[in-house]
Amino acid sequence: MITNHPTTELLTEYATGAMSLAPLISITTHLQFCEHCRDAVAGLNALGGEFLGECEGTAISDRLLADTLDRLDEEPLPETIEAAPASFAIDAALEEQLPAYLHKFVGRSPLNWRSLSSSLSVAPISVGETAYELALHKIDAGGTTPSHDHRGMELTVVLKGSFSDEHGVYHEGDFLIREPGHVHRPAAAQNQACICLSVLEAPIKLQGLKRVLNPFMQFNPS
Amino acid sequence: MKEQTGPDWNALLVRVGSHQDKSAFGALFAHFAPLLKGFLLKGGGVEPEQAEELVQETMIKVWRKAPTYAPAQAAASTWMYTIARNTRIDWLRKHSKRNQQTDELVAEDLFDENEASSPFVALIQNRNAGHIKTHLKELPQEQLQVLTLMYFQGKSGQEVADELNIPLGTVKSRVRLALQKLKLKLSPTGEDRKVVYAQ
Repeated sequence: MITNHPTTELLTEYATGAMSLAPLISITTHLQFCEHCRDAVAGLNALGGEFLGECEGTAISDRLLADTLDRLDEEPLPETIEAAPASFAIDAALEEQLPAYLHKFVGRSPLNWRSLSSSLSVAPISVGETAYELALHKIDAGGTTPSHDHRGMELTVVLKGSFSDEHGVYHEGDFLIREPGHVHRPAAAQNQACICLSVLEAPIKLQGLKRVLNPFMQFNPS
Repeated sequence: MKEQTGPDWNALLVRVGSHQDKSAFGALFAHFAPLLKGFLLKGGGVEPEQAEELVQETMIKVWRKAPTYAPAQAAASTWMYTIARNTRIDWLRKHSKRNQQTDELVAEDLFDENEASSPFVALIQNRNAGHIKTHLKELPQEQLQVLTLMYFQGKSGQEVADELNIPLGTVKSRVRLALQKLKLKLSPTGEDRKVVYAQ
């Protein structure tokens, strides 16, 4: 059962279009799992619809409808929108683990898995945004990650498996918000690897003995 | 009230999707294009000519996406709102100096509007619409102001806080209070949930 959700503020910024791409993708990913938040977003969208429906109309140019109709003739016939095919094949085993929604982002460039510690690996996903780093993280079954601090906010959605840290156990669909200064040490469940989608505001900083690894964690979003 | 006494916008939108009916599209255009323009101008940051460009973009997407419209999931005005919001996001990204991205990602890829909804979505939708209509006029000015800045101008909570010179926490609580008054669902995760720090 999902027990961790985006805050109402994040859902509102999502529905009003105030959010950057990477956090936006993390929210939509959570919505793939969470009926409650889908209903909340439906309500927020309905409020947008009410604002639109009741706002004061402004006269438009006489030609605009005719121009638009002309342009419709150039449009291909309306048909059910199909998801753009991924440019790169995703590893079939991985594809099975990810919600279909994510395939179009994950398949945009080859995934480059890099090992951060003996049981933690990361694969950046490029969405052409520099303010955030979007990535898949994988913790091997039974693996523990180095304890780390966050210099910026981190949003995490559990996609497959589960992990735990000092504060709780997180399952598929759980949405976690980690604030700067928050140190934690996630560990995957014994029986299954854990795959998460994460959005980092700034590179994370390792604590303790593994600090030497730190430079390698500053992967470049491109 | 308009939606109950005027033309059935939902039905017209379905007709555009199922029959590529240009007269139905024309009726939707006559009603929604001025609203869309008014909505965009109220948000500011857009010149009237650009607003018309955006209105046209939005209406062309409406034409193209109409076959995916499901009246059980959203009223026509709600669906139009999401298309207009996405169009504005793409437009702002294209014109942003910070984002030199050359890729072809568009907002409609990000939102995944067609995701499966709950089985009671039609019920919830009707209930939401009723509550919003009834209670929106009763919202205290300070709550309405925050929602207006967020919806019309696409401002984040922090940007609203900066503009009104109030703490972010106040913005969050006004949003929450307003949504409660409108009887809309909030996130199950409380905003004031204490983040536990290990050190």
